[in-house]
Amino acid sequence: MAKLTIDGKEIVVPDGTRLFDACTEARGGDQLPHFCYHPDLSIAGVCRLCQVEVEGMPKLTIACNTIVRDGMVVQTRSERVQKASKQILEMHLINHPVDCPICDQAGECGLQDQYMEYGLYDAKVEVPQKVNKRKVKVIGPQVILDQERCVLCSRCVRFCDEYSKTGELGIFNRGDRAEIDVPEGVELNNNYSMNTVDICPVGALTSRDFRFQKRVWMLKAAESVCPGCATGCNVRIDYEADRIYRLKPRHNPEVNGRFMCDKGRMTYKTVHASDRLEHPTMAGEKTDWSAALARFKDGLKLGLVITSAHQSVEEMGLLKPLAQVAGGAQLSGGLAGSDMGEGDEILLNADRTPNRKGLEIVGLQEHAAAELAEMIRAAGTVLILGGNPAADEQVASALKSAGEMIYIGTHANETAALAAVVLPGCMWAEKAGTFTNKDGRLQGFKPALKGRGSAREDWRILAELMALAGAEEVPVSLPLLRKALNEDLFAGSGINLNQLPVHGACHGGESE
Amino acid sequence: MATSEHRILSSRFGRKDGHKLSVYEAEGGYQALRNVLGGKKPEEVRETVKASGLRGRGGAGFPTGVKWGFVPQDAEEVYFFVNADESEPGTFKDRYCLDYDPHMTIEGTIISSFAVGAKLAFIYIRGEFGWLIDRVQKAVDEAYAAGYLGQDILGSGYNLEMIVHKGAGAYICGEETGLINSVEGVKGQPRIKPPFPAVAGFLDKPTIVNNVESVAAVPWIMTHGAEAYAAIGTEKSKGSKLWSVSGPVKNPGVYEIPLGMPFREFFNDYLGGMVDGEKLKAVIVGGSSVPVLPADEIMDVPLDYESLGEAGTMLGSGGMIIIPESSDMVELIQVLMHFYFDESCGQCTPCREGTGWLHRIVKKLRRGEGTPNDLKLLEHVCDGMMGLTICPLADAAVMPMRSFLEKFRPEFEVLIQENEPTGCQTRWPRGEQE
Repeated sequence: MAKLTIDGKEIVVPDGTRLFDACTEARGGDQLPHFCYHPDLSIAGVCRLCQVEVEGMPKLTIACNTIVRDGMVVQTRSERVQKASKQILEMHLINHPVDCPICDQAGECGLQDQYMEYGLYDAKVEVPQKVNKRKVKVIGPQVILDQERCVLCSRCVRFCDEYSKTGELGIFNRGDRAEIDVPEGVELNNNYSMNTVDICPVGALTSRDFRFQKRVWMLKAAESVCPGCATGCNVRIDYEADRIYRLKPRHNPEVNGRFMCDKGRMTYKTVHASDRLEHPTMAGEKTDWSAALARFKDGLKLGLVITSAHQSVEEMGLLKPLAQVAGGAQLSGGLAGSDMGEGDEILLNADRTPNRKGLEIVGLQEHAAAELAEMIRAAGTVLILGGNPAADEQVASALKSAGEMIYIGTHANETAALAAVVLPGCMWAEKAGTFTNKDGRLQGFKPALKGRGSAREDWRILAELMALAGAEEVPVSLPLLRKALNEDLFAGSGINLNQLPVHGACHGGESE
Repeated sequence: MATSEHRILSSRFGRKDGHKLSVYEAEGGYQALRNVLGGKKPEEVRETVKASGLRGRGGAGFPTGVKWGFVPQDAEEVYFFVNADESEPGTFKDRYCLDYDPHMTIEGTIISSFAVGAKLAFIYIRGEFGWLIDRVQKAVDEAYAAGYLGQDILGSGYNLEMIVHKGAGAYICGEETGLINSVEGVKGQPRIKPPFPAVAGFLDKPTIVNNVESVAAVPWIMTHGAEAYAAIGTEKSKGSKLWSVSGPVKNPGVYEIPLGMPFREFFNDYLGGMVDGEKLKAVIVGGSSVPVLPADEIMDVPLDYESLGEAGTMLGSGGMIIIPESSDMVELIQVLMHFYFDESCGQCTPCREGTGWLHRIVKKLRRGEGTPNDLKLLEHVCDGMMGLTICPLADAAVMPMRSFLEKFRPEFEVLIQENEPTGCQTRWPRGEQE
């Protein structure tokens, strides 16, 4: 441990800590001004903004490239430091186009924020003196480059070299003609390219998907988990009114660090798909909830309940009691091997479902297509919660020949087309729940939007079906449902679905 | 060419066959190497060079033996680089060494490599020195053939390979970590320090980078002893120094004189004074990156590290630029500011933006569009660059800029229009479309 004095305050940090991080701690979370420093990337030391005064050193030194020493005495707010940061910030801005009114980064921009905090000088450069560079250059399927806005912090270059290891970006030319670019014939086209937009402290790299869609200060945020694969990257859903505008990674050192993949970011698109199920239907005809549920007013008997690894732990947890009360129906976790793709060594998992481990936790098994078809034929009435098992031909033909089928789903698909009754559920961004990632980590997600049309949260639909089947007790709120599941599923493990830790909790203990 | 009795480095300068191995050997060449490999230990060589007081001749003036001592003692892989990227404006001494006497540098490199435990040495020569690269390569080939390089040198068991590396002509590759990057094949930009190259340099292994002139002095020091070298020069600036002198003096060229000789003596006795009709106005004494001194401030200053420092400038590389009365100082600084603007690697912000900004302001002054604020702005930009960057290039631009402005302010002031600045003009941003 090293004991040092920063701005007169004594702090103790582990040996090997970067002075930058020690200063953040000493300043109560207030970071030193910076553009190039990023905790997950190598040190570039090029923006020169995090200068501090260290006793015994004649020159100012950059905190990001300094490792703490025991007894160090550091000033971060001295006059000398403030003057230097102000002047260096001014250098960053002299060739900047200051086109904030048309820049997507405005509102979450390092130049804007740091100018307000450390700058506030009068402009000394007349506009025609600026170095002009290329604007609006499409450098990949997801990212647009504006070289004039760039402060050449090299975070994006380091990200592509060190994290995605794809190396598409480089800095070309030198002096104030230096610019970020891709070499001729190369595209910034990797599954992590949009992280460069996140880590770009200015508006040089912007997302083609989000470009000109919304001013960022109008967005609201909901904490969620990416439903795109079994990794379970923590995300922030940025939304306004009934529309999601983008997903941003949320820091979770146990899962995704500060990044997420491009495929995951695009998962929100399905929420706004035009084939969403918005109202209950019976035999293909639109109806309302009371009419649809009235069909089971004389009792609900089920022979088989099939779910999928896309549903939440809470929804899966309700299936056993439902099956019991509805005549001892058989249970299936869905089609084995469905939704598999190609994974990578970074974040994207080959299992493209968010909660396959959740099936294990509640004790549901997936079944091969032939087996599932057999179960369907033997079942009578079948309830399918989520997924699209009828995409498989064997399952589809079994469903056609079997008794009637109830489908709780979100999109029009083969399964919905075969259902006698379709009850529209909510997608992950429209409900609260818990997913279990590939390592058994339970992570809660919160809703950003209301369900589409008259869609209801899936657990409520299941609760209503339980009531129709004659259950004496049905859950009336999600916290109560979770409380019941805590006892059923996690007794003695300390896991509380109502109060999961911020980074999630591992089922069966911490894996590390 | 007049010269002093101290011809440590320049005894073969100007001689037709001085670059040949036979001539070098006939005049005692490679004897120092034979003595060193004949039983000296690396630490003895390091101690001798440290005791000689030899300081880095590339510009920084850091004691060479002390620098060698920074290599970790347990290092298994060490590299030695000779910096012949000589590109400081006004400096042309290293190319004399390599052109007229390449074997002295090669012998010095072998001894220095032995002293730090290097098995591979590079001589990094700037790309524009095309003929020089051929000359040095031929000399290296001769040295290999004579058994001074390669395996088991002179039966001592010491192995050293030597590579002559051609740079691509960037000023910044003369900065030692920029040079190392350039040899590694990545962009020639300085690295952030720490770590310093003596600990983690080429391929992240301990690496020593020394200037040609520093290395070339090593054989003499090993032959004549540290005391003989230290006896030359002043108490803190020991030995002799090469000065490359340009400008309208009667005898421009490269001179070797003991450190500490007063400028007046050097100017009158060696350079022969100004050409007829010219009067001395100012001197940039150590290469374009050091502060300029007006004639009356330099005349009585001894040419050594400490005296020049006290006089407000630096010895630097010894690239002495003589400026006559007929020169326009603003035009001169524009040339220099263009140089630094053009050569800034663009990596770190104060230098990238500052060198361009200084250049644009000076150009504006020269166009007759200067405003009273511009001189203040020049000083302001200098303040935002000095001491705040990864490498000294920004400082190297600031030092001449500040000193020109301070010492020759009236020449800037006459260019100022008496109107006040117009302030920011508005302009629609260029349209954006996908």
